[in-house]
Amino acid sequence: MEEGKRLTCPVVARTQAAEGHVELILQSRALARAVPGQFAHILTPGVLRRPISFSRIESENDLIGLLFQVVGSGTRWLAERSIGNELDVLGPLGNGFPAPDPMKPWAAVGGGVGVPPLFAAVQKWSHLTGDRPEIIIGARTAGWVVMENDFKELGIEPIVTTDDGSKGQKGNVADPLSLWLDNHNEAQVYACGPIPMLQAVRRLSAGRATTYLALEQRMGCGIGACLACVVPTVGDFGLSYRRVCTDGPVFRGEEMMW
Amino acid sequence: MVTDLGIELPRGMKLSNPVIAASGTFGFGSEYARFVDIGALGGVSVKGVSPKPWLGNPPPRVWETPMGLLNSIGLQNPGVETFIEKDLPLLRSHPTKIIVNIIGHTVEEYRQVAERLTNQDGVHALEVNISCPNIKEGGMMFGQDPDQAFAVTRAVRDATDLPLLVKLSPNVTSPVIIAQAVEAAGADVISAINTVLGLAIDIGLRRPALGGMTGGLSGPAIKPLALRIVYEIAQQVKIPIIGMGGIQNAEDVVEFLMAGASAVMVGTITFQYPDRMNQIIRELPDVLQSCGFASLREVVGVALPQSQKSNVQRAGVI
Ligand SMILES: Cc1cc2nc3c(=O)[nH]c(=O)nc-3n(C[C@H](O)[C@H](O)[C@H](O)COP(=O)(O)OP(=O)(O)OC[C@H]3O[C@@H](n4cnc5c(N)ncnc54)[C@H](O)[C@@H]3O)c2cc1C
Ligand SMILES: Cc1cc2nc3c(=O)[nH]c(=O)nc-3n(C[C@H](O)[C@H](O)[C@H](O)COP(=O)(O)O)c2cc1C
Ligand code: FES
Repeated sequence: MEEGKRLTCPVVARTQAAEGHVELILQSRALARAVPGQFAHILTPGVLRRPISFSRIESENDLIGLLFQVVGSGTRWLAERSIGNELDVLGPLGNGFPAPDPMKPWAAVGGGVGVPPLFAAVQKWSHLTGDRPEIIIGARTAGWVVMENDFKELGIEPIVTTDDGSKGQKGNVADPLSLWLDNHNEAQVYACGPIPMLQAVRRLSAGRATTYLALEQRMGCGIGACLACVVPTVGDFGLSYRRVCTDGPVFRGEEMMW
Repeated sequence: MVTDLGIELPRGMKLSNPVIAASGTFGFGSEYARFVDIGALGGVSVKGVSPKPWLGNPPPRVWETPMGLLNSIGLQNPGVETFIEKDLPLLRSHPTKIIVNIIGHTVEEYRQVAERLTNQDGVHALEVNISCPNIKEGGMMFGQDPDQAFAVTRAVRDATDLPLLVKLSPNVTSPVIIAQAVEAAGADVISAINTVLGLAIDIGLRRPALGGMTGGLSGPAIKPLALRIVYEIAQQVKIPIIGMGGIQNAEDVVEFLMAGASAVMVGTITFQYPDRMNQIIRELPDVLQSCGFASLREVVGVALPQSQKSNVQRAGVI
């Protein structure tokens, strides 16, 4: 996998991806070599950088996307960037998703701002598997559904769920995933989203599908040095804390201890 | 123009310059190799190492605060054997001085890890982190009691002839009393300060934000506190001091030197700017020059009260 570097990357496009969600497109040859699921650690005015996954990776024209929800000071500052501004980025960092096994049915399940790294994966690999991947994207409410049209442009109709039923199916991603798993054997499920959603994905898939989960955790260095970003995993001697930034962000479901 | 930034600490420990990576913020060094010119650093103090692996605290382990960072890593580390086998060989390929930060839950554990690291190729000094809970004495930190600080330092001193740094906690009424205790026990150098105990609440979850509940505050928020402690200690001990806490640039380094430190460590700023230590080292000569100094030696302790200056200036700078 590409070794991360410190880069200065110009913003070449900015779109309002949804209510309170912005996507910035950056030009960078080095970042455009990223694997879906990897992330950029971005300098903002705070004391720590902010980790954001790649929402799209277009190696043919050296472009990558960062799609984020404005939740605090760092993402607010990022949302105020405009075309021509430059970002100071460490990246690409971490271990992304593996390429899907072309012989197995594939589902990608994203919740909220967990959808972007899955879009990057589907964009890169959807031609590999015989059948198109099943895409299930969930959000709190209709205004927060992201990247639905991007999937449609790839010719894939995603299943949308919202907690309040304001768009698609009412409820969360678990129901449509469960249904899909009932009809597909030896499947592979890629997921990213809030922890309860990932726990549900893991539970539903146990014994039926291989799961790859992209995790979030509060980070310091972003490169494996400070041991801030750990998550509980199953180690040789019981609980073992492993780093999201360098051991992840993508883990196999059975590695998690939750 | 100041051309020589070299300093010599006790027991013949020569650094090419006074800027050292602070323990816990620079891993075992090699993680940063592609972002930092490690060989250009005065030294690297690695993550705290114990005799056996430590699990560390539950996440979240970091929380940003205004101009600061709270952390409760809980000293997760793979243990001294893994460090010697896997991490030390990578780090010692860089031409810098390697300081191993050591931790333990008992005096005996500190002694063991010190002994194990002595005579290891590439280990140039030990830094005793006395901010660990003493499990035999009910969990109070070694660094909060002068007798316990003395006991740990003496045990490590007896176990090694490496240069010995002892890193003080600011979470005491009088850091000077602890400094005097570790000096009396045979410490060669005092590192000050470790992080300042703090707390953040996650108002959404209605509970402390960090998995370890309280955490240690670092970054620019603690610089005035750190400077005050260095300034106080410098007036009361004879051994050199390595100052740290919130350093962001070469001017900050000069502040610590003027307060009586012979060298500095740089931590939290590295997360934002991995190469900032390299930049500080490049800019330091100009900053010293613009303040009217012809050598590093001249600047150490100049801000101390008149009667104390000469006392500090013998402390190690060539
Ligand atoms: C590997 C990875 C990939 C991510 N990808 C995306 C993405 O594609 N889109 C997106 O919208 N968000 C993503 N996030 C979450 C994103 O990092 C946070 O929303 C962001 O850091 C919030 O910063 P802030 O200053 O706006 O919020 P504040 O709450 O003010 O931030 C305070 C501190 O907490 C940290 N923090 C807050 N929330 C999170 C979180 N959920 N995860 C990690 N750190 C957090 C911040 O980095 C900062 O250090 C990702 C997180 C990780 C770890
Ligand atoms: C994430 C983190 C981990 C740390 N781990 C250690 C450690 O293992 N041992 C130690 O002596 N100090 C540790 N420290 C303290 C630093 O070495 C330093 O004393 C402190 O952060 C103040 O310097 P700064 O403001 O430049 O970061 C740690 C600090 C941080 C931020
Ligand atoms: S953020 Fe420092 S180890 Fe992951």
